[in-house]
Amino acid sequence: MGQSASTSSIPSSLNRRDNSNPNPSRRMKNRSTDEISVVPIEDSRICSYQSSDEDGEDAAAAAVADLDLDAVDDCPDLISDLPDECLAHVFQFLGAGDRKRCSLVCRRWLQVDGQSRHRLSLDARSDILISIPSIFDRFDSISKLALKCDRRSVSIGDEALVLISLRCKNLARFKIRGCREIAEVGMAELARNCRNLKKLSCGSCSFGARGINAFLDHAAALEELSVKRLRGLTDGAAMEPIGPGAAASTLKTICLKELYNGQCFESLILGAKSLKTLKLFRCSGDWDRVLESISVDQVAGLREVHLERLQVSDCGLAAISSCLDLEILHLVKTPECTNAGLTSIAERCKLLRKLHIDGWKTNRIGDEGLAAIARRCPNLQELVLIGVNPTSHSIGLLTSNCRNLERLALCNSETIGDAEISCIATKCLALRKLCIKGCPVSDQGMEALAGGCPNLVKVKVKKCRGVTSEGAEWLRSNRGSLAVNLDIIAAMEPQEAGASDGEAQEIGGEQQYPSLIKQRTAAADVPSSSSSSSSRRCRSAFSKAKIGLLARRNFVASTIKRWSQSNSNPQ
Amino acid sequence: MASTSKSASAAAGSSSSSAAASSSSSSAAAAASSSSTVASSSSSATAAASSSAVASSSSSKVIVLMSMEGERFEVEDYVARESKIISNMMEDDCANNDIPVPNVMASILSKIIEWCKKHAEIKEDNNHSNEEKEKELRSWDKEFVDLDTDTLYYLVVAANYLDINGLLDLLCQKVADMIKGKNPEQIREIFNIKNDFTPEEEEAIRKENSWAFESA
Repeated sequence: MGQSASTSSIPSSLNRRDNSNPNPSRRMKNRSTDEISVVPIEDSRICSYQSSDEDGEDAAAAAVADLDLDAVDDCPDLISDLPDECLAHVFQFLGAGDRKRCSLVCRRWLQVDGQSRHRLSLDARSDILISIPSIFDRFDSISKLALKCDRRSVSIGDEALVLISLRCKNLARFKIRGCREIAEVGMAELARNCRNLKKLSCGSCSFGARGINAFLDHAAALEELSVKRLRGLTDGAAMEPIGPGAAASTLKTICLKELYNGQCFESLILGAKSLKTLKLFRCSGDWDRVLESISVDQVAGLREVHLERLQVSDCGLAAISSCLDLEILHLVKTPECTNAGLTSIAERCKLLRKLHIDGWKTNRIGDEGLAAIARRCPNLQELVLIGVNPTSHSIGLLTSNCRNLERLALCNSETIGDAEISCIATKCLALRKLCIKGCPVSDQGMEALAGGCPNLVKVKVKKCRGVTSEGAEWLRSNRGSLAVNLDIIAAMEPQEAGASDGEAQEIGGEQQYPSLIKQRTAAADVPSSSSSSSSRRCRSAFSKAKIGLLARRNFVASTIKRWSQSNSNPQ
Repeated sequence: MASTSKSASAAAGSSSSSAAASSSSSSAAAAASSSSTVASSSSSATAAASSSAVASSSSSKVIVLMSMEGERFEVEDYVARESKIISNMMEDDCANNDIPVPNVMASILSKIIEWCKKHAEIKEDNNHSNEEKEKELRSWDKEFVDLDTDTLYYLVVAANYLDINGLLDLLCQKVADMIKGKNPEQIREIFNIKNDFTPEEEEAIRKENSWAFESA
């Protein structure tokens, strides 16, 4: 513990003026060693005043005036009296940076911080190896660990990973980024030693399918697996499939991002019997086929599906529609998913709560699909439409049928105008949060909004040229308790203003791509039936490579654009 | 904000309400008053003065807490329930007699009761929306926790002992706010802590710390 109690008696410390303390009350505290707050400070002062002469008060006043600001040896600090668990509780409210500084205050703080620290993020360069034993002696209750290595440095290898896993037996969540030197031996040991590991997230690692398999073969408690940009995946004849291994019955969430060989993961997805959440972002492969292969058991459990920039069409959506308990669906930039696919989802997934669609302005999804959702999915709570052009027909249906619709976001739509806002205002009674971005809405729409949506709590309006500060003011003054977040664009500003809006950037920067799709699909405009779907699939197999290439190029291009804009734009 | 007159009564061991009432803590004037007023309307007038256990015929039951100095505080049961320890005792039917809280001073206990009362009352309030209630509690809490550091520490220990989560979080957040953004030397100064590291030890810790990212 920190300071030891002062054993000097009260009256003598009162007289000892050179021994001062910014807070004179502390000096006079009389403490016994076992009880924490025995006697109030003021108490002892009064006692001692009473026992001394009538100049007692003067003496105290003089002592205060006589302040000597050197720290005092035998004047204990009160915070040392706080039990360790209370000190640890205080530390909980501090970020890692502050905790670092606390660890340097004194030995006791070092110890309490180390023992109460549950989350740690380390710079995983190879040099850290020698420090691993002492680091994990100090931090002995880590349950969430992140090891991150930057691109330019050599990362830790298997030896370090084994050491760490032996010392963090209670690890529940583990994240590795850029640790390219880690191979299958390390991953196997990690799973063997950390028996409670529930979540693994790895990004930019190189241990390929072998590494994942070595890990999964022993990870009997794993519930969540997230893999991004994994290297070392072989393909073609040498392709090694990834299976769920020991986690077959526990794995609930699979998230795959930017994998150039998505096919390897098919058997993983299909083998996870308790799968609840499936998220696929920009992975190559024919995902229609994978989705169609989902087993009957899995179908019953699947609640959440995210599909972004994938090769997936209405066939895949039809397959997903068998998941009768589906609650959350995100379809982002999947131009081969059309109204027909959305309708098939609507017809069977009656429990749908959250729906996000980024139509990429390709107009493959619009009124027809949304009307189907409105009619069949009464539980809808959250709807996000980006680059989709619904008219008041579907908007009207959605707002009147979906009685639980609380959160609505409409972005980059050419058809959402004042009439549509007015429709929302009058019919959408449950609405609490509304976000409108880049739509042809004007101040009139704001007025309409002010008069409707009785439960509205928050409104965000961005990049809507027609909305001026007048409209904002009207809204604010008429709806006092409403939180209004508006940015007003001056008439002269170009469309792509604002570096913070990644969305608009991406769409702006990649306008080339959607029109390519438009051309292709215009030529292939056939009603979706089983015969044509296969021919469509053939075509898409060809363009799959193209998509992959384009996707990555445009992703890089838009990212660079975003970074450079954020550098130049102070916003 | 130290309440000097209050402590005089505590030292003397009496439970006179006058000394308590003259306590100078700003917002706590009402709550700092002893036994008779804390239980407010529900208990009958005689209950306050009696020393026997109070299981009155009033609608809500009254719990009696006894501070370190022996001062009795009557608290309505829905207020006392804010403390998990006490609420467990109530469930186990062990709360019928005076409950001693031997390591908590009367002045601290009364502040604790003040907090519990406010929060319990707001919870029961059906006339305002949740947002309004939260807003009210937040601003009330902010004022409540504007205390000298000594009182803060005593409250932390007591809230921890009585297992009152909301209060403990509030207090610890306040102490944490005193620490945020400060370097080790400044922190030592605020809390008057002695640096017991050798320079070598300090260097070793700094080196080790450099391996950890600031955003965990």
